[in-house]
Amino acid sequence: MSFPTSHKTVFVLDHTLTASSGVKLEMDSFSKCRSGSTSGNGGSSGPPTPSQPQVSLIPLLPITTSLWTCAVEAITEYCRIVWDIFPGTRLIRFIAVDKTIHKLSSWNGEDQNLPNLMNSFMALGPSKNIGVGKLDLMKGLRAAIEALTEPSAVQHEKRTSLTESATKVLNKGRIILVTKINTEDEIRVYKEKFHEALLHLNKVAAATDNLMAINHCDLVLLNLWPNGLSCTIPRHTWPDVSTIMSCEFTNMQGGVSLAPTLCNLVLKHYDLASTTVTGIPMKEEQNASSSANYDVELFHPCAAHTAILRGIPSETAHLKTYREGADYETVTLKWCTPRSNASIELQHCSSAYRITSVDVNSRPSSCLTNFLLNGRWVMLEMPRKSGSKVISHMLACHGGDIYIHTMYTSRSILEDPPSISEGCGGRVTDYRIPDFGELLKANRLAPYPEPAPGSEGPSTPLEGSREHLSRHTKYWPITLSSTSLFTLGSNIEPLTSIMVKETITEDEVVECKQVILSLMSMEARGDPLPSPIAGQRGKGMKREDQYKAVWTELEQYLQMHLHCPAHEKVLECFMECHNKVATPEYKGDDKVDIDQALKELDDYNYMTEREKAEFNMAGSGTKHIPSDLIVPDSKRRHSAPPPLAPMGRSSGVSLLTLWENKVSSVQSQPCYEFQGRSRAEGNITKLYVNLQKDKEKEDGSRKK
Amino acid sequence: MPTVVLLDVSLSMSRGVDAVSPCQEEEDTESQILRKDLAVHGCNILLDHFIQHCKLEFASLIVFSSVYKVLMPFTRDFEAIKGALNLVDECDKTCIEVGLMGAAQHILEEWGNGTPCQVVLVTDGNAGTGQHHLQKSMMSSHSRGASQFPLPFPFPAKLNIVCIANPNEPCLQTSKPLYQRLIELNGEGDILVPEGNLTKQSVSEMFEHLIKNNFSSYSGVLHCGSLSAPVTLSPPPQPYCRHHDFEIMRVSVDPTITVLGFLNTGDVSSPPAFSRHLVLPLSAKGDMVMLPKADAGSDDEGTGNDEGKIPSFCVLLHGGLKRENMVALSQVGENWYGILYSWADNKKKSNLMLSLFVPGVDVIPWMGKLSNLGPASQLPVNPYGPSDTSSPFPLKVHEKKSYALNSVVWVRQGGLQSDIQKILRHARKLPDKTQSFYKELNRVRKAALAYGFSELLEGLANVLERECTLLPPTSHPDAAIQLQHAYEALRSHDRKDSRQNITPLKTTFSGND
Repeated sequence: MSFPTSHKTVFVLDHTLTASSGVKLEMDSFSKCRSGSTSGNGGSSGPPTPSQPQVSLIPLLPITTSLWTCAVEAITEYCRIVWDIFPGTRLIRFIAVDKTIHKLSSWNGEDQNLPNLMNSFMALGPSKNIGVGKLDLMKGLRAAIEALTEPSAVQHEKRTSLTESATKVLNKGRIILVTKINTEDEIRVYKEKFHEALLHLNKVAAATDNLMAINHCDLVLLNLWPNGLSCTIPRHTWPDVSTIMSCEFTNMQGGVSLAPTLCNLVLKHYDLASTTVTGIPMKEEQNASSSANYDVELFHPCAAHTAILRGIPSETAHLKTYREGADYETVTLKWCTPRSNASIELQHCSSAYRITSVDVNSRPSSCLTNFLLNGRWVMLEMPRKSGSKVISHMLACHGGDIYIHTMYTSRSILEDPPSISEGCGGRVTDYRIPDFGELLKANRLAPYPEPAPGSEGPSTPLEGSREHLSRHTKYWPITLSSTSLFTLGSNIEPLTSIMVKETITEDEVVECKQVILSLMSMEARGDPLPSPIAGQRGKGMKREDQYKAVWTELEQYLQMHLHCPAHEKVLECFMECHNKVATPEYKGDDKVDIDQALKELDDYNYMTEREKAEFNMAGSGTKHIPSDLIVPDSKRRHSAPPPLAPMGRSSGVSLLTLWENKVSSVQSQPCYEFQGRSRAEGNITKLYVNLQKDKEKEDGSRKK
Repeated sequence: MPTVVLLDVSLSMSRGVDAVSPCQEEEDTESQILRKDLAVHGCNILLDHFIQHCKLEFASLIVFSSVYKVLMPFTRDFEAIKGALNLVDECDKTCIEVGLMGAAQHILEEWGNGTPCQVVLVTDGNAGTGQHHLQKSMMSSHSRGASQFPLPFPFPAKLNIVCIANPNEPCLQTSKPLYQRLIELNGEGDILVPEGNLTKQSVSEMFEHLIKNNFSSYSGVLHCGSLSAPVTLSPPPQPYCRHHDFEIMRVSVDPTITVLGFLNTGDVSSPPAFSRHLVLPLSAKGDMVMLPKADAGSDDEGTGNDEGKIPSFCVLLHGGLKRENMVALSQVGENWYGILYSWADNKKKSNLMLSLFVPGVDVIPWMGKLSNLGPASQLPVNPYGPSDTSSPFPLKVHEKKSYALNSVVWVRQGGLQSDIQKILRHARKLPDKTQSFYKELNRVRKAALAYGFSELLEGLANVLERECTLLPPTSHPDAAIQLQHAYEALRSHDRKDSRQNITPLKTTFSGND
């Protein structure tokens, strides 16, 4: 828990700074370019004006800005940078002091944006002259301390979270006083009085439930000076005024040095760093066919540089240069012509931080940001000391915010990894990958509407997705050779896509039944099954056996997908078709059944090729139905149905009776002895011996 | 994690195992074994472990005395390191600082500052003649001097100090606090001393202990609904322990990795990852299998091939993700998520990769809270659309940032000037640009009011008034009317409600707005 000081900042503004900042604007210069000659700044785009007689004009008066205007301009810029980079996590409030105290905003999220800030300053109006000696800034500072003792939303949440860390939430903050200070004595007085007030108000806060005592406060005294005059008091810091307070005194002069001073301040307070993107090619406004290269400076959290700057200092010294007039360094990285497909690939990034451009309205800056806002990604290249180059960062916009991503620049420990085909299962070629692709699409995630506060149920949408996925994979053979059912392709659609649903409608039940019935009629017609060549299981099987395998698997599949009563209807339909009795009790054993299925799959996996071949040829049903009892389905349907014995716990019929009934019913049918069996040794006959031989021959020749 | 074996080759390593009489020349075979032989023996145990279980790791061998030398740069050829161990020369005195410096330098050059590493310092339990100097430089590093003391390492690293010494040796007793201080400085690590007397056996045990605590590989199960596969992660995932703004995150990766759903690769938009790991399927026996490359000789057809022919869910998942260009959002621990995806180092070999996010549900801003993602097919309207043409990602931010807002910034030179010139440009194209003219005018007016800059309003009114007088005779009558309306409105700012924007004057000429 770092509890950053920058989490909460209060600006206390002297609203009596009516004095001139010494910054003059020549209004004449703006309208000069009317007659004749074109201006450098886009004047050429005006309509051609007929030459007019030169009128001698009365010169316009230059306008001057007040210190107050300078202060507000600087503060809004400070806030712009902070809110662009830390939306919602770094909060700023404003208190203006003249005769009274004006609290301009709160810690609430909706107050933390530029349009809102501009509106409250508009409502406040220009600075007021209230006469000497009537201003009491200490009142403002006290109000600021009180503001800091109010917890922010996140502090409140953590404090009341009933977890172990709730009591350990620290309250830190910063108060920035903007005024004009003339003597060092004033600084001393502010410092001392502030410290007293801090101690006092902490006691008050500690005695309440809803306020938090301040653990540390950083007081910044910003001395606003008019342009042209030199400040007599040097910059100074007191890092340890006491254990709970630090103090800093900084001069800020109107005019050209205002912006760099402000940048210094915001970089220091929020631990930001500067990157200059160099060599951005831009079309010239005047001459669209040529392009020149521009630089754009960006701010972002310092951490975006750690990957390239921490390490051997001499290796990266050449990247850093000082900005003109500023105390901070900027790292210069080169623009790389973006690849168009960068955004659909997965780039390896170690971090991503929001950025903002420093001179946000300049043409190069807005060109770059618009390029990014339109969805293009820009790679940034870091020149190495050795002269080689490496892509070190990437600029990309996600949903309206621009981020700087840090890329990996050093050697990867994952280099030269083994291919997936070199590991377990790598040589299997009949994975159901297209089917799995469909499963991926059916289990795609999307953001759900935010649950109403307080009404959050025990299960999140993401947990719902886990359920969803588990329903979709209840019965999912991963290779074609381990399934007959899923080799049928369109013949079993839409049954397999309907059955995985949580609930199904009557119409869908009908659709599923139709699938079963059409399969039945296919069998009756003796249509060949679209068994793929790759499927070992179907290879060389008799058509009846193929159908049998499908039916067995379908039954298993339906038994596993009993998510609602309508699902059971599909199973019932299947059972009726096959003269079986639906056993919904099965549902309870469903887990056991999966285990059983998995075990069988594992057993199958451990078999040698030979065993597998035998297993497959013997038909998939062997495990469930003793081979002696196999009656080809076609035969069964033509002859009288076996006596229907109610199964399950409720029936009260013993297993022995069932068995005997079954056996006697089979024996009662005329049954020709299978040719192969009469010749068999130990009741096992090798089927398709020639085929096996052929295969071996073929394999042998392939190896050569 | 890349590992540096930092081996002390000072003269004292050539002592016999018996501390009491280092220069014994008896026939006793046990005392013939030198400490450096035991060190090499231990290192070989570690390297054999890599050969057996961590084939994809990197190790390097650095020897040090008063100077350091990289004998083997980082490699996966552990046999080569074993070979190099046999060729180690004897040098002068132990200078741990130099050795650590060498390890830091070598790791930084090779892996940068973001890769977690292991440093195994093998020494004889005698901090050596340089002890005082070491102590001094440790002190100065504490006082944040300019000295370049290598600890803590400028990258995440564990420092294990392995002492080839009898536990009761006096010089070990004096050196131990120093070692302890080194480990404290680095933050992570341990001191290892043999249990009982210094023998081949006790050294082996000590190294086994080292391996167990620091080099054990990850073994877990990848679940996706009812499908699953045993997997290992390379490199093994490290626990996460960092201070966030308002909480301390302490989590480690569970032995189960659960796929929760899938996302388009384009939609996740290259999210930042805390670490990346290869996901390698394990055989049913729990071994990592590396089949010979397809074109290798057919001698290995025996056992290896069987493992390759048993279907693994990992391969299916990889194939599906690659085919659909998607990633699988997965949970790896409490409140810790990551994505699985197909990744190719080069065009030929692709494999399954796991990128772990920073722990927490709110870690990728453009995906929203991860816990708030659910099956798209169960939403009233599937946001991916019927033909997969749309996407719910990225989540749009509520408040536009300054660079998308056309915000006013006059604190820099030229800001105000270009804003006024823009107004004038539009003014000269009236009435065609009436809407743009008023839009820019109001933008500047609003900012001027917010900044308490009423002089600007007056100044701007003057400029527009002059524009009006300078209108060419051929200009549209509406131009003059709108300009006059604008400058009059600017001047009356304090009389009317200043929040109201100035709206274009409806004239009989302005038909085609």
